[in-house]
Amino acid sequence: MNTSDNGFFGEFGGMYVAEVLRSPLEELKSAFNEAKDDPVFQSAFAEEAKTYIGRPTPLLHAKRASKALGGAQIYIKLEGLANTGAHKINNALGQGLLAKRMGKRRIIAETGAGQHGVATAAVCARLGLECIIYMGEVDIKRQHPNVFWMEQYGATVVPVSSGSRTLKDAVNEALRDWARNYDTTHYLLGSALGPTPYPDMVREFQSVIGNEVLEQTRDLEIEAMIACVGGGSNAMGFFSPFIGEKRPRLIGVEAGGNGIAPGEHAVRMDGSGAVSVVQGYKSYFLLDGEGQVQNTHSVSAGLDYPGIGPQLAHLGKEGRVEFERVSDEQAIDAVKFFARNEGLCFALESAHAGAYAMRLAPTLTEDKRIIVNMSGRGDKDIFITARAIDEDNWISFLEQEAVR
Amino acid sequence: MNYSIMSHMIASYPDERTAMQVAKGLSRGGASYLEIQFPFSDPTADGPVIQEACTKAIENGFTLDRGFTFITELMKIIDTPVYIMTYAAPVVYIGVAEYLRRAKASGAAGCIIPDLPVGSDEGMYQISSELGLDCVPVIAPNTSIARLQEILNVGPKHIYAALRAGITGTKTELTEDSLSFLAEVLKYEVKVLGGFGIRTREQVSALDERGVASVIGSYFVERLESLIETDADIEQGMSDAISSLV
Ligand SMILES: Cc1ncc(COP(=O)(O)O)c(C=O)c1O
Repeated sequence: MNTSDNGFFGEFGGMYVAEVLRSPLEELKSAFNEAKDDPVFQSAFAEEAKTYIGRPTPLLHAKRASKALGGAQIYIKLEGLANTGAHKINNALGQGLLAKRMGKRRIIAETGAGQHGVATAAVCARLGLECIIYMGEVDIKRQHPNVFWMEQYGATVVPVSSGSRTLKDAVNEALRDWARNYDTTHYLLGSALGPTPYPDMVREFQSVIGNEVLEQTRDLEIEAMIACVGGGSNAMGFFSPFIGEKRPRLIGVEAGGNGIAPGEHAVRMDGSGAVSVVQGYKSYFLLDGEGQVQNTHSVSAGLDYPGIGPQLAHLGKEGRVEFERVSDEQAIDAVKFFARNEGLCFALESAHAGAYAMRLAPTLTEDKRIIVNMSGRGDKDIFITARAIDEDNWISFLEQEAVR
Repeated sequence: MNYSIMSHMIASYPDERTAMQVAKGLSRGGASYLEIQFPFSDPTADGPVIQEACTKAIENGFTLDRGFTFITELMKIIDTPVYIMTYAAPVVYIGVAEYLRRAKASGAAGCIIPDLPVGSDEGMYQISSELGLDCVPVIAPNTSIARLQEILNVGPKHIYAALRAGITGTKTELTEDSLSFLAEVLKYEVKVLGGFGIRTREQVSALDERGVASVIGSYFVERLESLIETDADIEQGMSDAISSLV
């Protein structure tokens, strides 16, 4: 079963929203269900996916990396080659086209790292839609290049100063905006979470990743597929066609941050997460002993979120998807490793998946194949990676730039 | 004659002692109901005034234990019925049945949890009616008649009608639309509470004419802020604030 049963994946999912959001969600659900079976919509999506996003993205055999690790053959799905640099644009395009079809001319979205914000702003520019991006003040400070590009694409970036001033607060603010403006506005949610129909809809638009992998590996037997998990959109899109099968192994990698203490990581699936209802859906969340949402940490802003999409929660509980953790430091090491051995620049989020592949490959024989979803490329992270890897040179460069 | 007002306040805000004075003042000044919000970190149906107050209350050490103790203590000194408002996360986290049992034991009259709507309420309406707790559904102007009937089928004694789309805080004009929405709700046998952006006696009076009690929230939080700033007597100040409206 790959689609929710009336909004639920096992016990997870649902539509736990204030009454005011019920009718916009119902409207969205029926619009999506009609569109996804409509050949006109499908071909519009396929055409833009090809000419604007640059699909299909390649599946690369990472021969030198595999050899250096000594074990399984590593393949890398290069979602980072998609326009705007990450898988986020698949979903942004799908929902943008859907919003247009529904007659909604105003798009709102949340963003953490800014990748979803950039993708949404780009799609809105392409489709001629008004775009408002909510972004926590903390994230605005650490992701300036993405803010700059969102504004160049014509979006208004609204700083969110409530709560922890990060991604979850941006989601709250977008929900508030939508509750006021649902008549004119579509909320273009960026991950496979939130109230139904978002988890189904985002997975469907992202399943283009997994469907291409299926094509690209038709004659190959695959041992394992590995994706990083923030909310779960790249993982669900990548895993989607394989969920109903027993194989390959599907592995989701969460942000281990700086350690196992509360507030130091964003790992929900190792027992740290508690079942509850936050932001409209039931899933595992990082909560304190009082049921309040806990702060999280990850070097990658895109994985720095206290909840996990309901379908992944279910697949994790059932055992179909295995979960692993990768620390900040291991993720940065993976960025270095794949840059040096394959000439690939992993986004810090995707580097979590890469790092786990580095752990897994040497435990398998050379005839086994594993696929890593490189969900994005890491240009956007230069202010973080350069500081972490080569601090002195980077700081002196910044100082020179400031006075130039 | 007095108008019927459900006045809103936040437990542990700005601290427990002051919150007790707020509750006493509102009750003495003529509130027909007290709505006491248990703070949650991510209150998506609330505007900035209430969210900020909730954040501070959590920083000041709000816990569910303290919240329920507060209600228990309060019920020893006032007769006004108390409705505890909060969000789904802390409730589902400790278990809906456990939460409602504790609410009942504290002496609360009922609960308001906007993100546990009828049908997605995790058994809240069933359990609360067994306990004799009055859980109040919140509806909005875009709630369809069919949905309204579905909600009324769980047999609530009160229904909370948000008078416009959006969140708490900004002022609501009582337009033809919001009044005709109310007229629809008033056809049924349920006591109607109208809220979101009520802050003047005219609004309260216009609602009262139609048999609707006013829910007032952000306005009282703002009044409390200015009382704190001027070092005024909190209980007296809150009592005055509400008596000028009832
Ligand atoms: C490149 C990249 N990968 C992964 C993620 C995590 O999101 P998700 O789990 O929805 O794929 C993000 C989020 O910003 C991202 O930018």
